[in-house]
Amino acid sequence: MPRDDIAARLTDLLRDFFRQPALALAEETTAADVPGWDSLAHIDLMVTIEKAFAIRLSTREVRGMKNIGALLDILAQKTA
Amino acid sequence: MEYNCQTPDYATLIAEARALDTSACTRDLRIAVLADFTTHQLVAVMQALAARRGVRLHVYEAAYDSIESEILDAASGLYAFAPDCVALLAATPKLKGRYYAAADPAAFAGQAVARFAGLWDGLRAHCPATIIQSTYVQPAERAFGQYEALVPHSLGAAVREVNRGLAEAARARRGVLLCDADFLAAERGRAAWRDERLWALAKLPCTPDCLPDLAGGVLDAALAAAGAFVKCVVLDLDNTLWGGVIGDDGLAGIALGGFDEGEAFVAFQQFLLSLKRRGILLAVVSKNEEAAARLPFREHPDMVLKEEDIAVFLANWDNKADNIRRVQQVLNIGLDAMVFLDDNPFERQLVRAHVPGVIVPELPEDPVDYLPALAALNLFETASHSDADAARAGQYREEASRQQAQASFTNIDDYLRSLGMTARLERFAPRSLPRIAQLIQRSNQFNLTTRRHSEEACARLMADAGHAPLTITLADTFGDYGLISVIVLALQGDTVEILDYLMSCRVLKRGVEDLAMNAIFAFAAQNGARQVVGRYLPTAKNRMVEGFYAGFGFTCIDSAAHEAVWAHEVASWRPRAHFIHAEAQEWGAAPQAVAG
Repeated sequence: MPRDDIAARLTDLLRDFFRQPALALAEETTAADVPGWDSLAHIDLMVTIEKAFAIRLSTREVRGMKNIGALLDILAQKTA
Repeated sequence: MEYNCQTPDYATLIAEARALDTSACTRDLRIAVLADFTTHQLVAVMQALAARRGVRLHVYEAAYDSIESEILDAASGLYAFAPDCVALLAATPKLKGRYYAAADPAAFAGQAVARFAGLWDGLRAHCPATIIQSTYVQPAERAFGQYEALVPHSLGAAVREVNRGLAEAARARRGVLLCDADFLAAERGRAAWRDERLWALAKLPCTPDCLPDLAGGVLDAALAAAGAFVKCVVLDLDNTLWGGVIGDDGLAGIALGGFDEGEAFVAFQQFLLSLKRRGILLAVVSKNEEAAARLPFREHPDMVLKEEDIAVFLANWDNKADNIRRVQQVLNIGLDAMVFLDDNPFERQLVRAHVPGVIVPELPEDPVDYLPALAALNLFETASHSDADAARAGQYREEASRQQAQASFTNIDDYLRSLGMTARLERFAPRSLPRIAQLIQRSNQFNLTTRRHSEEACARLMADAGHAPLTITLADTFGDYGLISVIVLALQGDTVEILDYLMSCRVLKRGVEDLAMNAIFAFAAQNGARQVVGRYLPTAKNRMVEGFYAGFGFTCIDSAAHEAVWAHEVASWRPRAHFIHAEAQEWGAAPQAVAG
């Protein structure tokens, strides 16, 4: 799946998940930039993303992901 | 109420928990959650599930892995919260850690059980809440392969041993229930339950998809302990208890026994019979000619249920909503304590629409799926079991005989005299505690204050010199009613206060109320009291006793929306007439040995 398509789907998913219809994502966006994205929400979000993209994230990927760009890299690689 | 066979999914429940609407909730429940794993999501799911069942759940969520400190510290937030129940939840990875660190694997299981039993007893010393203990989910790894179970102290054998030990220790105590996590996980498939990654990352006990199962397990036990449980199953007949239509197909034509669908109906009836033996009443509501409806019960060789298993049998052409209300009136139980099982979606919808409160599960199309669909709903949770439960169905049939006898008397006094009633009044006794606690949980209508004491709290009353906790058992020529009334008195200065007064509605207007009030005033006089004071706390279900104290000549001395206080001078009490031969044990004073 092209990276732009993944980014669009991910944006929709996060807007829905955090119930922030105007949420905008950039490559450098981190959890700290999104209200409600705490460590507990992170786990739920990762599980939601796994279901939506039909992939599985490793422990290291869930823990180590620095920003939206890193997440997009993982999704692009796993849905290729 | 509609019950679908599937538990709502995690995402739905989390969304509901975020915008929790408890405005339609009719009751409150206080639960403390102590766990050695992360409980944030579990608690949210539990609150959403509770709200769906009309319960506003107040939760004390202890800090991660603080079970010991909460319980052992008398000044902990746990005790300040004053919970109705305390859930002690434990995850297998933590148990594995202890197992591998244990010096003596042979002693491990015993120690793990003793740790929790000690915690339960520690908790008991500070608070009478019901305890809900989780079991451990079997781990995946087996160092011995299938031989694991044959090695006494292998990990797999140890986990089984701990679960068995927890059940035994709980059985030996009052007010300790299990949330059988291993069963819940096995039903899902343990591989689908576990998520080692989410344990490593966030200390989640299972995959989020399975959290509703675990939350439901805790909630089911908590609600049963609080008195919300099913007392009666109302059954359709054609295509519910057997395949086909008895009126059309005849005795030889219905599918029952043997193989195919007939086999499934036998299995379904066997489960219903085990419910009846447990004390749940079975009733029949069927659109049939009565003779046809009763025919299989009398003559079909593969019929598991017999006529004597059915407490109320209604076969007619009236609509089922009206018939269910009739069943409810005869049995004197709440609509929300009834489950209606019918293969016909039209009848289910009609009952949902016209008899709100009754639990109406969806039944699958194929009768082989009835049993697993019902099992998945876990509708028949209970917090106690006593031998008296099993006798209940018989008592309702005796009641039917009494009602027939009553028809032959024109004078009620003659009738009551003819019953040859005998009653025993006695202080709470250890052997009666399970039944006392159960009656306290069950009685909604004839209940003046509706305070739900746990069995443990009853045991404390029994031993407390400051209280006079009384039970009444009743029998007559038709049979034994068993323990039917619980009254708790307190002597405070010159006043005897009636703290609790409840009675089974099955014995209304037999004179037990008169006998009991005479006993209360006799107790007051013996103890030099000047007056007897009673309270009425209104609930959605106890309107029938709103005028109870007025009926005995009490004067209302304080009246508010939530409470009315009534008083009567001891000096002006005139004993009531009744036709019960009473045998009274000493019940006013606590037994010396127990009171110390």
